Amino acid sequence: MRRVVFTIVIVAVVLFSIGPFMWILNTSLKSPQTIAERPPTIIPDLQTEFFAAAVDEHNFMRYVGNSAIVAGLTTLLAVLVGTLAAYPLARLRMPWRRGILSLVLAASMFPQIAIVGGVYRLLLKLGLLNTHPGLVLPYTALTLPLAIWILTSFFKEIPSDLEDSARVDGCGPLATMWRIFVPVAAPAVFTTAILVFIYAWNEFFFALLIMTDPAVQTLPVGIAKFPGEYMVPWGELAAAAVIATIPLVVLVLVLQRRIISGLTAGAVKG
Amino acid sequence: MRRIVLIAGMLIVGMALFGCGGSDTESGVTSVNLVVWKPNIPAAWDSALAMFHEAHPDIKIVREIGPHSSSQFHDLVAQKLRNQDPSVDAFLMDVIWTPEFAAAGWAMPLDERFPPSEQDKFFDGCIQADVWDGKIYGVPLNIDAGILYYRKDLLDQYGFEPPTTWAAMIDQIDSIQAGENDPNLNGFSGQFRQYEGLICDMLEIVQSNGGRLTEPESPETMEAIAFVRNELIGDAAPEGVLTYSEQESLDLFTSGGAVFHRNWPYAWSVSKESPIAGQVGIARLPSFKDDMSTSTLGGWRFGISRYSKNPDAAWTVVEFFTSPQMQRHFAVNAGRAPARKTLYQDSAVLAANPHFEEMYPVFETATPRPRTPVYPEVSNILQRFLHSALSQDDADLEALAAKAATEMETALGRVQ
Amino acid sequence: MNSERKAAYALVAPAVFIVAVFVLSPIVQAFINSLYRDTPFSPKTFIGLDNYRTLFSDSVATGTIEFTLIFVIVSTALEILIGLGLALVIHEHFKGRGLVRAAVLIPWAIPTVVAGVMWKYMLNDQYGFVNLVFYGSNVANYVAWLASEWSARMAIIGADVWKTSSFAALLILAGLQSIPEDLYEAARIDGANAVKRFFRITLPLLKPAILLALLFRMMDAFRVFALVYVMTQGAPGGSTNVLQYYGYQKMFPEQQFGYGSAVSVLVFVMIAIVATILIRTVRTRIYES
Repeated sequence: MRRVVFTIVIVAVVLFSIGPFMWILNTSLKSPQTIAERPPTIIPDLQTEFFAAAVDEHNFMRYVGNSAIVAGLTTLLAVLVGTLAAYPLARLRMPWRRGILSLVLAASMFPQIAIVGGVYRLLLKLGLLNTHPGLVLPYTALTLPLAIWILTSFFKEIPSDLEDSARVDGCGPLATMWRIFVPVAAPAVFTTAILVFIYAWNEFFFALLIMTDPAVQTLPVGIAKFPGEYMVPWGELAAAAVIATIPLVVLVLVLQRRIISGLTAGAVKG
Repeated sequence: MRRIVLIAGMLIVGMALFGCGGSDTESGVTSVNLVVWKPNIPAAWDSALAMFHEAHPDIKIVREIGPHSSSQFHDLVAQKLRNQDPSVDAFLMDVIWTPEFAAAGWAMPLDERFPPSEQDKFFDGCIQADVWDGKIYGVPLNIDAGILYYRKDLLDQYGFEPPTTWAAMIDQIDSIQAGENDPNLNGFSGQFRQYEGLICDMLEIVQSNGGRLTEPESPETMEAIAFVRNELIGDAAPEGVLTYSEQESLDLFTSGGAVFHRNWPYAWSVSKESPIAGQVGIARLPSFKDDMSTSTLGGWRFGISRYSKNPDAAWTVVEFFTSPQMQRHFAVNAGRAPARKTLYQDSAVLAANPHFEEMYPVFETATPRPRTPVYPEVSNILQRFLHSALSQDDADLEALAAKAATEMETALGRVQ
Repeated sequence: MNSERKAAYALVAPAVFIVAVFVLSPIVQAFINSLYRDTPFSPKTFIGLDNYRTLFSDSVATGTIEFTLIFVIVSTALEILIGLGLALVIHEHFKGRGLVRAAVLIPWAIPTVVAGVMWKYMLNDQYGFVNLVFYGSNVANYVAWLASEWSARMAIIGADVWKTSSFAALLILAGLQSIPEDLYEAARIDGANAVKRFFRITLPLLKPAILLALLFRMMDAFRVFALVYVMTQGAPGGSTNVLQYYGYQKMFPEQQFGYGSAVSVLVFVMIAIVATILIRTVRTRIYES
């Protein structure tokens, strides 16, 4: 009896989570003739027309590539800069430590619309509009608070005798960080990387205003451009949604254990 | 402290080097940045660009592509111009933007390049829409206007002519629905979602009763709105039209779910390839009183940025894309109704779009939306007002109208 | 300056620099802008707190504030509850747990814009999946969910809950895993049943994780934008308009930068208040344990 109930619960959980996605997958496999049928058909006619259109006509793979570049670079930069900053904030004696930490955290509380105007003007002056760094830099700034926060709370948990023994060996702060903390912090670094990557992969608002050259546009902007003046190509959109989501699904599928263990070790104790 | 500055500086320089933006002028070639939307039929634009580059090897067009939704595209272009972004030379403008772009000083007056003798070749409505404070700011590319689509087979079967009044349309719907007894057959579909299209559809209905959107409290306006709420939506048209833009409303019509349908000319070619192909007729939109049929004016034009460093080259681009040859090209290959009048006697244009002939008088008399630099705000106020009035059965129309009138007054007061 | 301090500053510098340049300075600009009337059609003029006065007296703005608060409260409450449920399920040991865990994380990985488009399509009154689920093939009964006030509000909240419950679940699961197994053993020996164990051990020890999830979700919920932008644009009427979308409407389509900035400052103040309260609570919790 217990097992039956539990199985039902599991099925419900899975349906809740992937049901809508399955419907979009289903829609993407329909044909233009069946897509607007009333009532909707449950079994798709298994056409790949919409995928072909998304990839060929809408040049979708280019957006995927741009997103990979932007999200990848953002992840690298945010994790690198975040790790550098988190170590002293967690372990070293420095005046203004709390002040700096709260300032960085406060930065995560502001609505994006307030920031985008200033960022646009700055990028215009630097000549970085329509370039990958033009998006990577603001994304890094927006994700750094989260990165620093997770990493700082993780670094705080590391027992100080490790650090002391390194000191005895004559290591300076930099060497201590590199030799002792970074290896131990791997899971937290990893979790941070995933969170940052997903943020950068999904961000729409900055990308829309900053990237107007199709050669550098990211995936959410690409999807926003699917509709024509009066037309909404639901099928192509569904196919695009599937393509946009699959890399992340694979990522999550492969890495879910590490995502969870990193969070357990780091953030939650913060 | 010095080290901090150093690191920071290196970071920025490093990132800047990484970039590849900026306008590089090769020897003798001027580049023109053209901000356009993603075209419905990309091939037509690609070939147009190729033709341009062949004719003008000294100019290179760099295309920046935004979303096609008029409001999303507006935000993008406005953001660039507001910041005096020098990388914008020419851009597409929706028919409703000219007063805003002119009053804000973003668009360049084109009077010297686009004299009245040239203007006369375009529909008067398009030209009027491009004028602000006595100067002209845009060159029209195409024209749009609302029309009534109907199911020829059903109207023939019941012996009806296309209705000229809204009351007649409702009567025809009642008879056809009673006769067909099909729960899936609705009477009417149109665009009543809260977006710019709602303004277009409602302007047609309100003005066909002698009302004005800018005078929400006038009895004619209120009467027309009450008609839409009480007799159209939820009755002749499904409740869902309150969430429909062009695509959803056309889907309903082409899947055989509606007898009448309001849309732009593009829908004609879409319906040709749908389950109701060959059963579709077009007519002027109905009105409340005789000879008051109203169609909302739409369409796009090119403007040139006041901050452009190459206005001459930009003009060459604009002139080329709005020339008779190119308007014919877009009519034939992308189904866009030309803004130039003579093309409506062009055999190639008419062969590809036989319905344009019937549309000509509709285009000639199409009605513009309110003209003001604060149009986006006025539009938002009206959208909120109209959508509340239509979606809430128990809404107090008079109170809503009074509020909208006050809000519009405040908005218009913002322009000096 | 001793060498440790120097090193500390040098290490923190790049982060502070990036955040200062790309977030803090635009924020300061926004604060200053909120005190001006700033449109392209008239000279920029200082108007003190007028923008804020309008913000609290204009009925469109107050309606927007009201729905934003409803959205924040209802969606975070549901997300925490559902997140807790999901976390408890995927914390159990069973065959295929890895796959179920990955499935639970999928909504979180889907871009918000895509999720919004998906839900809008699924809520369509003619070919929507939601109607198919509720009414089968009886098209005449299909409902236009986004056409009336309360169902549209529910739809926006529902889409957000679907999209982000898994993130809450992730944080809560991490909390569950840090509860030592022997506590349960001890309780079992003392004869406490499952319900008692949940309320006596699990819930109290989960409090930090739950509060953390609450903090993250609330901060995000105040800034909801993409779902409204894609699904309703504030319709019907203004009943699903939220502050960040309202601010966006003012700043970008309507070009009222001063007033739009005031809206964004208000969002910031609301978030700051909630965050301060929650962070305080989290901290005291940790000291207690």
